[in-house]
Amino acid sequence: MSLPLYYYLAITAIYILMSWSIYIPYRVGQLHFMTVANMAISSYFAALMAINFAWPFWLVLIVGTLLGALIGFLVSVAIGDAPCFAVVIVGFTFIYLTKTIIENVEAFGGPLGIFSIPKVLQTSSDNRTLLLIVAYALVLLTGFLISRFDHSRLGRAASAIFIDRDLAVSFGVDVKKLGMFLQTWASAVGGMSGVMYAFIMRSISPNHFTFHLIGVCMTMLFVGGYTTLWGALLAAPILWGFPLILPEALQSWNIVIYGVLLIVVLVIKPEGIITRPTVKKIESLLSRNRKKV
Amino acid sequence: MEILIAQIFNGLSIGSIYVLLVTGFNLLLLVAMIIHFSFPVVVVFSMYISWFVMTLTGSVALGVAGGIASAVVVNVITAPMFQHIMRERGSVDINATMVISMGMGMIITDILSHTFNQGFPIAFPDALTGNDQGALISVGLVSISRGQVLTLIVGIIFVAFLFWLLYKTRAGRAFRAIAEDPNGAKLVGIPLLKTGFQSYALTGILGGVTAVLMAVLLGSASAGLGDQLGHKVLAVSIIAGLGNLTGGLIIGLLLGILEAIIQGYLAGSWSNAIAFIVMLVVILAKPKGVFGSKL
Amino acid sequence: MAQNDPILKIDSLSVSYGHVKALSDISLEVGKGEIVVLVGANGAGKTSIMETVLGANVPVGGDIEFKGIHIGGVPVDKNVRNGMFLVPEGRGVFASMTVMDNLLLGAHHNLKNSDKKLQLVFDSFPVLGERKLQVAGTLSGGERQMLAIARALMSSPDMIMVDEPSIGLAPIIVNDIFEILVNLNKEGYSILLSEQNVYKALKIAHRGYVLETGRIIKSGTAEELLNDEAVREAYLGA
Repeated sequence: MSLPLYYYLAITAIYILMSWSIYIPYRVGQLHFMTVANMAISSYFAALMAINFAWPFWLVLIVGTLLGALIGFLVSVAIGDAPCFAVVIVGFTFIYLTKTIIENVEAFGGPLGIFSIPKVLQTSSDNRTLLLIVAYALVLLTGFLISRFDHSRLGRAASAIFIDRDLAVSFGVDVKKLGMFLQTWASAVGGMSGVMYAFIMRSISPNHFTFHLIGVCMTMLFVGGYTTLWGALLAAPILWGFPLILPEALQSWNIVIYGVLLIVVLVIKPEGIITRPTVKKIESLLSRNRKKV
Repeated sequence: MEILIAQIFNGLSIGSIYVLLVTGFNLLLLVAMIIHFSFPVVVVFSMYISWFVMTLTGSVALGVAGGIASAVVVNVITAPMFQHIMRERGSVDINATMVISMGMGMIITDILSHTFNQGFPIAFPDALTGNDQGALISVGLVSISRGQVLTLIVGIIFVAFLFWLLYKTRAGRAFRAIAEDPNGAKLVGIPLLKTGFQSYALTGILGGVTAVLMAVLLGSASAGLGDQLGHKVLAVSIIAGLGNLTGGLIIGLLLGILEAIIQGYLAGSWSNAIAFIVMLVVILAKPKGVFGSKL
Repeated sequence: MAQNDPILKIDSLSVSYGHVKALSDISLEVGKGEIVVLVGANGAGKTSIMETVLGANVPVGGDIEFKGIHIGGVPVDKNVRNGMFLVPEGRGVFASMTVMDNLLLGAHHNLKNSDKKLQLVFDSFPVLGERKLQVAGTLSGGERQMLAIARALMSSPDMIMVDEPSIGLAPIIVNDIFEILVNLNKEGYSILLSEQNVYKALKIAHRGYVLETGRIIKSGTAEELLNDEAVREAYLGA
């Protein structure tokens, strides 16, 4: 497999996971950008453990994910049922603080970051194949869990909270508990993505985890459609891929392109390109075809 | 002690910038009913336009005019986009307006970091900042620059003007009615869209003036400044209680003073981080604000 | 029906909120100088009629004429300018603003003669004059209703629509409010009133319409309705 293709596929998986990490708490109307900070923290954790203590990849992956969940949980105790804007600002602040700490502490490599994170397998090609398999296995697993959640009683409760929080409360939905659960889950996904990112890139720097990354993931989620898990899944490969085939002069403008797309889609089709009715229509088409066969 | 006095004065002038930005943000929130997260990014954009006009024409006056005009133009051009969202949804979906505003911020910040001055930070001429003339007042360690005094005075005048406008004029009365109860305001015959549009124009002027003051006070700007300010302004607004104008005034000044005092005793990027930690703690403890939200 | 030219004429009006039909085939008239009352249970469509006339809802079908001009789909601010005003259910007073501000909001579209109008309003409602600098949130329920009516007068309307004025008020105060409405009517204002207190409303009205789930099921002079068996049974508890 060629190197550009490997990076395209691997980074796409990371973007799918990160867009989903924003999708998950947005089910109850919270834009939880904290997951980008979780990604940064777990990413550095993974790099340091692998380099300094020679922790094996699997252990790092599990502990890094749990680390994300733990931080997400602790924060969610305070903001599990907070208004969307408070959640947004907490996320931004965590990202900023994480970045400041990383840049100013020598052990974290400062502004330059950390290099030469070890390979999981000896040969480069084996290593890449393994990481791709793991990354997409995690995408499958997370997608499966989200799908299970969306079709469960809790998923319907989340939709109720999204539409009318007060009404949902009056029906006896525990907004705080559900918010805490979703935030913790999202932070775990953020942490998981961070570990994968560290092993895929093999070098990380504080500049990877900024407002910029939020912008990209937010565009993927809102352009694809924030009401189902399919939106981010389909938008991530396309949005991440198409600037790569643009002429070089245009490539550096990809953030402007994302911003314009984000605004245009939200103005014209506020729920994004793939909505729940779209998914239902496709599902019914598929089931009809199956019956014919 | 002298350092403390100097830093408090320093903090008041930075704080008055925060107050102006938060007030503009809150006005848009109350009257136009949008979370314009990137309002400070628009202000930084105006700083760049102001710098561009100054370097092109060599005239400070034209630069100031250009800066103010550009903020008004950006606000007025983007108003129909936000208002379209409001009309589409029937009721206001504030989350969508915030995401759109962030999209706007992405575009503006990226344009600033690509085009003007090859993406390097810009520096304003001494003719504007008055840095070449030295301090205005200097007693021992306390030294106060012309820029600081100007920012503080114009800040006070402008905030006073805004409060006069809100509480003593016909437009202000309509603004407050919409802020309290948009539906009730509609039923007594206040045109929501038209009045909302006026608030975009007003905050445009406010933003332009703030841009000029920031140019005078800071003397330089970089593309990333807007995101950082947007972040702070939203934090101040949440801590004060969303849409709470008086609260924003108090918290904005307090943040300025806090930052200045930390900077007086601590060097480097840690001082900024401490201000953020303080804000984070307050938000985690009181996610709905200290003075109560007007929404 | 109406003795003279109607000021408001609604012809087979229908209104929907999304897929829910709120009003169907409503036809009614308010004559110049009349008090017309809309009678019906909660959710029968009284508020919907008023808000649609005012321009807050866009009708699906039918026609509304005000002073001989078609106004279906005309926005609220234009209708207010043309001389109608709504005193909404629950008063719709701005609690954080002063009594004075609330009154001036009524004259928002025409502040030219507001001083004169304020004087007239304060003459009729001395309580409001005494409290003009207090915020409206400090007023009692009855005073708020007075403020809401006075605010309507500030707009120099020809027709005032009053939605459920008696809700949440003590019986004595309800009598005061109804007396105010009768006096306003004598001064020449046409009034479209909606009320759950059917007996009192029919006592002061000239004519009335009975609504049930978005349709008019009965209409007539106030006297006819007061003596109607079905109306008595359903709304007067007799």
